[in-house]
Amino acid sequence: MAIHEKSLIDAERIQTSDNLVLDGVDVSGHWNTMVLPRYLTDYDTDFARQIRTFSGGENVHRCWQCGSCTNSCTVYAQNTDFNPRYWIYLTNLGLKNEILKDKDIIWTCVSCNRCTNICPKDVKPEGVMKALAHWLEEEGHTPESKSTIFDNEFLDQVYATGRIEDTRVLVNFLRKTNQSLMPPWLIEIGKRMTKYFPLTFLIHMGLHLVFKPRTKSWGRTGDVLRAYVHEQKEIARKARAMPKEAVHV
Amino acid sequence: MQKTVLVVGAGPAGLAAAAGVAASGAQAVLVDKAAKLGGTPILSGYAKLVPSGEWARDAMGRMVKRVEESKNVTIHKETKVTKLAGEAGKFTATLSNGTSVECASVILATGFTHFDSINKPEWGFGTYEDVVTTTQVEQMVAAGKIACPSDGRVPERVAILLCVGSRDRQIGREWCSKICCTVSTNLAMEIKELSPTTDVFIYYMDIRTFGLYEDRFYWKSQEEFKTKFVKARIAEVTRAPDGRLLVKGEDTLVKRPIVIPMDLVVHAIGMDPNEDNPEIARVFGVGLEKHGFIDRAEHYTNTCGTTRRGIYAVGAALAPETIDDSISQGTAAALRAVADLDALVQKSA
Repeated sequence: MAIHEKSLIDAERIQTSDNLVLDGVDVSGHWNTMVLPRYLTDYDTDFARQIRTFSGGENVHRCWQCGSCTNSCTVYAQNTDFNPRYWIYLTNLGLKNEILKDKDIIWTCVSCNRCTNICPKDVKPEGVMKALAHWLEEEGHTPESKSTIFDNEFLDQVYATGRIEDTRVLVNFLRKTNQSLMPPWLIEIGKRMTKYFPLTFLIHMGLHLVFKPRTKSWGRTGDVLRAYVHEQKEIARKARAMPKEAVHV
Repeated sequence: MQKTVLVVGAGPAGLAAAAGVAASGAQAVLVDKAAKLGGTPILSGYAKLVPSGEWARDAMGRMVKRVEESKNVTIHKETKVTKLAGEAGKFTATLSNGTSVECASVILATGFTHFDSINKPEWGFGTYEDVVTTTQVEQMVAAGKIACPSDGRVPERVAILLCVGSRDRQIGREWCSKICCTVSTNLAMEIKELSPTTDVFIYYMDIRTFGLYEDRFYWKSQEEFKTKFVKARIAEVTRAPDGRLLVKGEDTLVKRPIVIPMDLVVHAIGMDPNEDNPEIARVFGVGLEKHGFIDRAEHYTNTCGTTRRGIYAVGAALAPETIDDSISQGTAAALRAVADLDALVQKSA
């Protein structure tokens, strides 16, 4: 055991191999553990621009690190690892790997917007949290989020019929996310609703489930909307992929 | 009784003082050790001045023209004051060109000396060609091309290190040089104008763009020109095998050491007391404060006064100062000096 205080080192920086030859010298066995240096060796100078192309991330470069966002943050109060100020700094310098370490908590932003209301530089930190979550998803660092699945189900219904059917959105969402179709909270809602015996509502709901009504004269509107949303997303995606020289300030 | 004021130094403060004295109807004798009037902005080849955005040669040019055209100003270039005898109201100054000047009061507008980055060897100036000072970048901007001195390439990345020669007990400089933050954010914008693909990083401890410089320079540089602000005091500048520079330090906010490649490293050099201040103190009999700038008298009723009656000091001779405030102080001291003349005239009547 060459390293005694492994607890002081980030796990991902410790490298162990059973057989190791360095410069022709066999160092297997006792010297099999190596630690990668902890210093940061570069910035991704295009990263902040890429985040600015996501909706909500437009003002990220304005941040001067006062910390008002983190200080006012609802989630930070519960989990001090949730630090918007820090992620904004990492974004601006392009320290992508550091952001990736927190990829599993960035999405937990509850969009209370206290940060956006308090920010003296109008960075809109809540928007940056969304932009980062979308970037993580687009790059495949995080799986498709439940909220994205929900949004897609919602939009697909709008495209198809010009309206949404609450029950269908909910059922399809639960199904697509492999959740029970009868979660306890839904049963509870049902129970409480029966108190009022909403007969007309239940009849409507049942009919709509069967007949899937469309908005009057919806026609090709859904297709046009779908094409437009697709086009906008493509424009943003292309802007992100553009070489730095072509898009610089 | 003399109606003459001796003004030493023909930078922004001295030119304003001489013009002020002349405008009041008194005589000004303006002495400068350089062959050219205009002071540091001209001699160091500054580009556009903060905050006006006017080219130094135009702005200083107008100030110089104003005193040159005044019949009440006598100018001695490449000249120093070697001796000052007498007292307030009746000084006799001996100039290095042999002239003798009878004057009632003296205004010292002797300015500052740029910090010499050689005194911070760990930051690579004098070791690596591509480590330069803000003064050199001013000259590049004035010449219209931003380039690495080593091979003339346009830098992809520029690091500006703040507080070089300021706020540093290690080298006995405990003052803030006041204007480097604003100058640096301005230079970042000028670099970006000359080379839009260059990324500019400013390494700071804090940003002191006071007053209206806040949004006009700091915010504008960050928001419109995408200057990146990194909270880190650089420990060392070295060179990578590929010839690029490496800035090493600790990123205070990420709490990690950094070793980042850069093409050009710029020292935002501070203002030292004028290197001639010991000589100036001796010749004029004025005191220096603990940092080596000229010491002030009680300020509230003796604006610009030094420790010796009848001798005033203005601008960066007193402390690190902006050009605008140096000009205001020059004008204020002119009023003080002329008021003294009148008081002495009345007293003797």
